Amino acid sequence: MLQTFQLAFVQRGIAEVLLLSVGAGLLGTWIVLRGLAFFSHAVGTAAFPGLVLADGLGFSAALGAFGTAIVFAVVVRALAGPHTDYDSLTAVVLAGFLAVGVILASDVFRSGASIETLLFGSLLVIGSGDLALAALAAGLVVATGLVLGPRWLAHGFDPAGSRAIGLRSPLPDLVLLALIALTTIAALAAIGALLAAALIVVPAATVRLWTRRMPAWQAGSVLLAAVEGVAGIWASVETNAPPGATIAVISGAVFAAALIARRVALPLRGRALAAGAGAALLVAVASGCGGGSGGSAPLDAVATTTQLGDLVRNVGGDRVDVHQILQPNTDPHDYEPRPDDVVATADADVAFTSGDGLDAWMGEVVSQSGGSPAVVDVGASVPVTLPGEDEGEEASRFDPHWWHDPRNAEAAVATIRNALTAADPPGAAAYSANAAAYLAEVRALDRGIAACMATVPADARMLVTDHDAFSYFTERYGITVVGAIIPSQTTQAQPSAGDIARLTDLIEAEGVTAIFPESSLSPKLAEAIARDTGATADYSLYGDTLGPGDSAGATYLGMERANADAMVRGFTGGARGCTIAGIP
Amino acid sequence: MSGAPLLECRGLAADYGGPPALEGVDFAVAPGERIGVLGPNGGGKSTLFRVISGELRPAAGTVRLSGRCAVLPQSDRSRLDYPVSALDVALMGAIGRLPWWRRPGRAERRAARQALDVVGLGDSAGRTFGELSGGQRQRVLIARALVQDASLVLLDEPFAGLDSPSAERLMGLLDDLAGSGHGLLISTHDVEQVAAWDRVLCVNRSQIAFGPPASTLTVPVLEATYGNEIVTLPDDGTGARRGLLPAVHHHDDDHDHGHDH
Repeated sequence: MLQTFQLAFVQRGIAEVLLLSVGAGLLGTWIVLRGLAFFSHAVGTAAFPGLVLADGLGFSAALGAFGTAIVFAVVVRALAGPHTDYDSLTAVVLAGFLAVGVILASDVFRSGASIETLLFGSLLVIGSGDLALAALAAGLVVATGLVLGPRWLAHGFDPAGSRAIGLRSPLPDLVLLALIALTTIAALAAIGALLAAALIVVPAATVRLWTRRMPAWQAGSVLLAAVEGVAGIWASVETNAPPGATIAVISGAVFAAALIARRVALPLRGRALAAGAGAALLVAVASGCGGGSGGSAPLDAVATTTQLGDLVRNVGGDRVDVHQILQPNTDPHDYEPRPDDVVATADADVAFTSGDGLDAWMGEVVSQSGGSPAVVDVGASVPVTLPGEDEGEEASRFDPHWWHDPRNAEAAVATIRNALTAADPPGAAAYSANAAAYLAEVRALDRGIAACMATVPADARMLVTDHDAFSYFTERYGITVVGAIIPSQTTQAQPSAGDIARLTDLIEAEGVTAIFPESSLSPKLAEAIARDTGATADYSLYGDTLGPGDSAGATYLGMERANADAMVRGFTGGARGCTIAGIP
Repeated sequence: MSGAPLLECRGLAADYGGPPALEGVDFAVAPGERIGVLGPNGGGKSTLFRVISGELRPAAGTVRLSGRCAVLPQSDRSRLDYPVSALDVALMGAIGRLPWWRRPGRAERRAARQALDVVGLGDSAGRTFGELSGGQRQRVLIARALVQDASLVLLDEPFAGLDSPSAERLMGLLDDLAGSGHGLLISTHDVEQVAAWDRVLCVNRSQIAFGPPASTLTVPVLEATYGNEIVTLPDDGTGARRGLLPAVHHHDDDHDHGHDH
């Protein structure tokens, strides 16, 4: 149980959460006292336009987020009068900031898909920059609180009379808002914008129930935030849950227990009850932990994407334990590493990445895991490449969806075979045989899809889909791409009314009969356009990820076959599909 | 009633962005004067205090203060839940006089304790503010005004919700403050009380009257101040006695734990 704390990435996570809890616990008391909880939640989310700008103009994301958060704090403070309710003001300003962010992402920078991941964070991949930021926030909060704390206290006690008492300057309050912004941005890297309140607001609100004075309240909040943060990391490693969410669950449960104890029991008995409930919760969380994986295969490999995992399993056979990081139907852009992923990477002999920006986060997981697997960028060695479409700093050189051309999959299989052989020479014969058998199937797939497409007249092969993930497929099989519903590659961008009108006109002019939503995205927009144009949106495609185990797209071969089937059905008005001998 | 005025208001008017909430206010407060401020709810008493304390900018006219001014706010539920002791509250009076980088230190704490002694709460310095009785809380706020070294103190309905022993004790304290040269502006609904003070200011959206109670508290002035809320109570044989049925003023002040001791 305690050996969890010996893992290097766990120690870094704990250092981060301890540093954060100093700033978070102290500020939390002021946030609760001054009614700024919603502000502290909003200021992290409001950083979105700053992240878009940082990405588009090429400066650091932390700087972009912090700069925007400070501007947010200044705007909110500037609009506030002595009696203004910070909550509604915050909501108004937040809506404005988010709108600016969406417009910047959709129309100005055509942002890459990586931006929204910056609003999420993980205690499992903490770098030294994150630690420095958390330490800076903690130091500033302690120093400023010592100097300005009495003023914050007096102003909150009697806001209307604060001028009469001699507190004329709006500066102390502005500094408070700015510190909340800084601490929230520091917490962004650790537990993300949506859950930062679990560390900042909830411990202070919990301790408030049991304290009557600021010093005790502040000390208690720092202590509770630290304990809940460390307990959350430990429980997340034991149960393989995301650490940010685990901390939120624990702090929420402790708050609920404290509240019930406060309401129900006598003060002294209540304290014991709350402690008991907290302990029981920890035990319950701990007992949920499973045993280690303990595989007996000679080689441990990590693969990032679903399709890559499938290829590695087919080539590795019994000799390789494959830990696949992304699960079916999850967008690679929304990925938050879990403890198992980092542990598996630390123990792995080989790590396979898809490349071209699709899974750039894997580099961070590898470097923070403390292990030293051979990292193989499978996408780097594929023979057919198409240019990437993103602009800006995060742009990829090539379109990262290379697997939709089976000839690239053939090359990937060879790359995987060579990497496994290098890591495990005694298995060379087995890997060769597995690869040869699988390559035969991939070639059959390629021929089969080509034959199916040949039955459709060339001018009927017209593709409209959510966003452009299928260029390799359309290039290979002679399909014309009429348009994509989302003009930019990030799923966060929104099409404008004009974009949709142009696409609708185009669909009608070209006589397109089917629109193909991607299975892992919401089909709403595609369905709406289908309704307007009389096309069908019934056939969905597998783009970024394989489908779940019981679906047609559960394997790489099944995915490509199902895509071909859906397209042929769409092109022919449902008259026929595409079946290929030997492929499910 | 000698010396330069502590406060001088000339042609004062104020609004909240709409029609004037208060206009034509013209009076002065000298050291040692207790001035009762009478008026109906919504008649502009609180607005007047806001303008004097600097919270609200006057729409017209001038406010001239010759010293510091302290405000005793109406009791507010949110303040009862505040995590501070009586001493902490008294200490808040010291902050405005310190440069921004300084925390209240030993000298300020001593001043705060002395002020609590003056208001008779030296023994309660460590008690939580919200747990004190209504009268005790008013006296803690007076201690804060003393620490602030204010020459003018504005009290917004300080007697609301107090039982009579607490009210008498507070009254005595206000007399002491006036005796030591403070100017007091006290808003209230109790006409009898005002009659014992030095001057009275009647407002109802504009200034109705200002002067000594004996000559100012006439039936026409009270009618102009309170409209139809004024009633005349018969007094056995000695003629009609002025009486007042003010608008019922509710302070849901359920934290009064008995009266003072």
